[in-house]
Amino acid sequence: MSAITYSNARHERLARLARRATWRLAGGVLVLWAVATLTFFALHLMPGDPVLAILGGASGNPTAETIAQATREFGLDKPLAAQYALYLGRLLQGDLGMSYSQHLPVTQVLAEQSGATLQLTFSALALAWLLVLALTVLTAGRGRWVSSLASLAETLAAALPHFWLGILLLAVFAFGLRWFPPAGSDGWRTLVLPAVALAIPLAGFIAQVTRESLELTLEQPFVLTARTRGLSDTAVRFKHALRHAVLPGISLSGWAIGALISGAVVIEVIFSRKGLGRQLYQAVQAQDLPLTIGISLAVAAVYVLANIVIDLLYLWIDPRQQGKTA
Amino acid sequence: MLERSPHLRSQGRRSRSLLKRTPLIGFAALCSLLVGCGPDTSTVARSDKPVSGGTLVYATDREPTCLDPHVSGDMPQVFIGQQYLDSLVSMDEQGQIGPWLAKGWEVSADGLVYTFHLRNDVHFTDGTPFNAAAVKANLDHMANPKTQSSTAGGYIRQYRSTEVLDDYTAVVHLATPYAAFLEVLAQGFLGIESPTALLRSRDQNCESPVGSGPFKIVKWDRQSQVELVRNPDYNWAPPTARHQGPAWLERIVWKFIQEPSVRFASLQAGEVDVIEALPPESHEAARRNPDLTMLVALRPGNPTNGTLNITRAPFDNLKVREAFVRSADVEGALKSVYFNEFPRAGGALSSATRFYSPDFEHAQDYDQGRAAQLLDESGWTGRDAEGYRTRDGKRLQVHVVIGNRTPPSELTLWEQVQATTRKAGFELLVEQMSDVQATQRQADWDYDIRVGYWNTNSADVLRIVFGSEFVQPAGVGGYHQNTAGFASPQFDAINQQALATQDPEQRRALYYQTQQIASQQYLQLTTYPQSSRLGIYKTTQGVRLEPSLAVTYLYDAWVNK
Repeated sequence: MSAITYSNARHERLARLARRATWRLAGGVLVLWAVATLTFFALHLMPGDPVLAILGGASGNPTAETIAQATREFGLDKPLAAQYALYLGRLLQGDLGMSYSQHLPVTQVLAEQSGATLQLTFSALALAWLLVLALTVLTAGRGRWVSSLASLAETLAAALPHFWLGILLLAVFAFGLRWFPPAGSDGWRTLVLPAVALAIPLAGFIAQVTRESLELTLEQPFVLTARTRGLSDTAVRFKHALRHAVLPGISLSGWAIGALISGAVVIEVIFSRKGLGRQLYQAVQAQDLPLTIGISLAVAAVYVLANIVIDLLYLWIDPRQQGKTA
Repeated sequence: MLERSPHLRSQGRRSRSLLKRTPLIGFAALCSLLVGCGPDTSTVARSDKPVSGGTLVYATDREPTCLDPHVSGDMPQVFIGQQYLDSLVSMDEQGQIGPWLAKGWEVSADGLVYTFHLRNDVHFTDGTPFNAAAVKANLDHMANPKTQSSTAGGYIRQYRSTEVLDDYTAVVHLATPYAAFLEVLAQGFLGIESPTALLRSRDQNCESPVGSGPFKIVKWDRQSQVELVRNPDYNWAPPTARHQGPAWLERIVWKFIQEPSVRFASLQAGEVDVIEALPPESHEAARRNPDLTMLVALRPGNPTNGTLNITRAPFDNLKVREAFVRSADVEGALKSVYFNEFPRAGGALSSATRFYSPDFEHAQDYDQGRAAQLLDESGWTGRDAEGYRTRDGKRLQVHVVIGNRTPPSELTLWEQVQATTRKAGFELLVEQMSDVQATQRQADWDYDIRVGYWNTNSADVLRIVFGSEFVQPAGVGGYHQNTAGFASPQFDAINQQALATQDPEQRRALYYQTQQIASQQYLQLTTYPQSSRLGIYKTTQGVRLEPSLAVTYLYDAWVNK
């Protein structure tokens, strides 16, 4: 009897989760459509003829026949509405088109470049969390002096611009001490400095919220209970308080994925790493419509997906959330 | 081509290919002047005997968008192309054309038919033999609009067809006489590719083009590097090479490091052996570093400049043009912006161009007195409250249109020009915008000054930048290459005469006249010649800048590591 109730409850819980995931996915698709549409029109509104951009910009020396050929090849001679319809139709079939500037299918560019960017963003995210945990768990509620000092460090870290930090790290650890190579994308040694440059400001942000919530949690009665059961301070912090305290930090991580990818644009350029960020930078400069849209969509998709995952992760960490339907 | 501003990047953008022809002499002079390149600032022991084997790591600033230099045609493409492609003819350091894949040639009396006699012992790295059909396939490929060739295709607009007389005789027909044809054929942009590989789609060929050169492309890892390996069969180096047979290097890793300071730091650390586009701010550090040598060569063609739009006021008046040019202290600006590392260019041709004359170098010298006098003479005698000159109540205002890919140093240079021309009473408005917008403004003739340059190994460049046929838009995009709007039947006629004769002395005399006209008309404020600047680590020797466009040539290079 009680087993059946349990199973029902569990079933219902899963169904609720699935419903929630479905809604979130539908919302995600809507977001992707909006991104595709906005990027499409924004790029078409940019002044100038994309054909010239395709043919090498102002320094090109194309003949009239070459220009006419390129215009036809990329469908730029059709009215804008027709181009948009054509574009959405292809998008639905998973065809992102050919990149003008790379002479490659956009999907292939995405396949070749996204690995490096994901590696960079996830290393940075993991590193940021390591820093957050080390800093907050060890210093929260340790007395005003330690706390304020750590808090100051977090605020400073959060305020550091990526490009400045990137250049500083380069100057010290690559040019000066020569511990790490200043450029490249192969091997873990080339990953260290870019990941640190992205992780430090992010760690600052996450640590600020995590510290605040950890300090609140440490004042909760259940923490006192745990202590009276004879648990060590470290055990209390890691086993009991942390689970409550990381929630705001985790939801911030969803946002952080987006922030990290935008940070990757700067960092990949500074460290000459391959990746979507640097590719996006070049695609925009070259007015490469299909590639710019393709990368924006891929980034938006990762962002949407990460937020769904975070949402579900939230439920898993804090079962109390399941009662409240989102 | 040209130059339009945006591309003022140090490498020049596309097309212009230029090279430096300046060869040795120029080289030596430059070295002593500019660079400590010479025999060896390095104290490190190097073996002077070439060593076979080893990998050279090369780092440049920009990644090409296609490895086939026929397509589009930007400078980064020709730099890689020079390693894996051979050309029909070669150019030596005096700008003379010599044999390469073609053993010899004849030109018909009317200048319309070129008969090339080809080597019969050459094959491409995919095994395809080199023959007359390959020449035809290549010229047809460059001229085909589907190739979207801006540079190579643009330089052979006169091309009509190729006749395959027999396996090793190709007869090329032109629509109009074009004496610069052999010169442009010597540029890497017009390198000869395997006709079998050209049968593939353009985009496939971009990814893995095939040549007959000393190296072949193995792999292109986008945004990271291109890998090349030695062609073991290579036995047809041009007469300008320092050795024959296969290259010394076993392998080349061609990396892309965009940030100048990072590129230079990688060189200092020995992580890379050669860097291109050595930033001018690092020249001094490179000279002082015993581990490094520098190799600098000017590129031929039309130097970096601001071209004045003479189709509207105020630059429709020659006196105002000269006044503007005279009131700009370019030497002072070069000193502060480029640390005196770039020489001044005073004439319409870079000193590395064949038939260049030094007689016009001083026509643009800074002279505020003369500027003031000229402006007085042309009626700009009023002064408004801010000190700018006026005429009929209108302020003497000029707009310079600069694309946003133009490097910041170039913008700073123009700000300095703004400061000095202001003294003469000009209000110079520096307008920076997206490249595409800038191109649009150009198409609409809505500018007074356009910044640019044009690298090519022929004095015929003056026809492209000032000839009346280029005032018309080159294509439906409405984009014209003659940004000055200069149209003179006399100037056009001299250029046509120069294209119709193969006699060097006649060509020299005719190109002297075109340089003189360009100079006397004050169509451009020229600033500095484009250059190729390499930094070389102590492990590497024998790196050269070939003479046609001052492009890196690694065939004769070796490493001791």
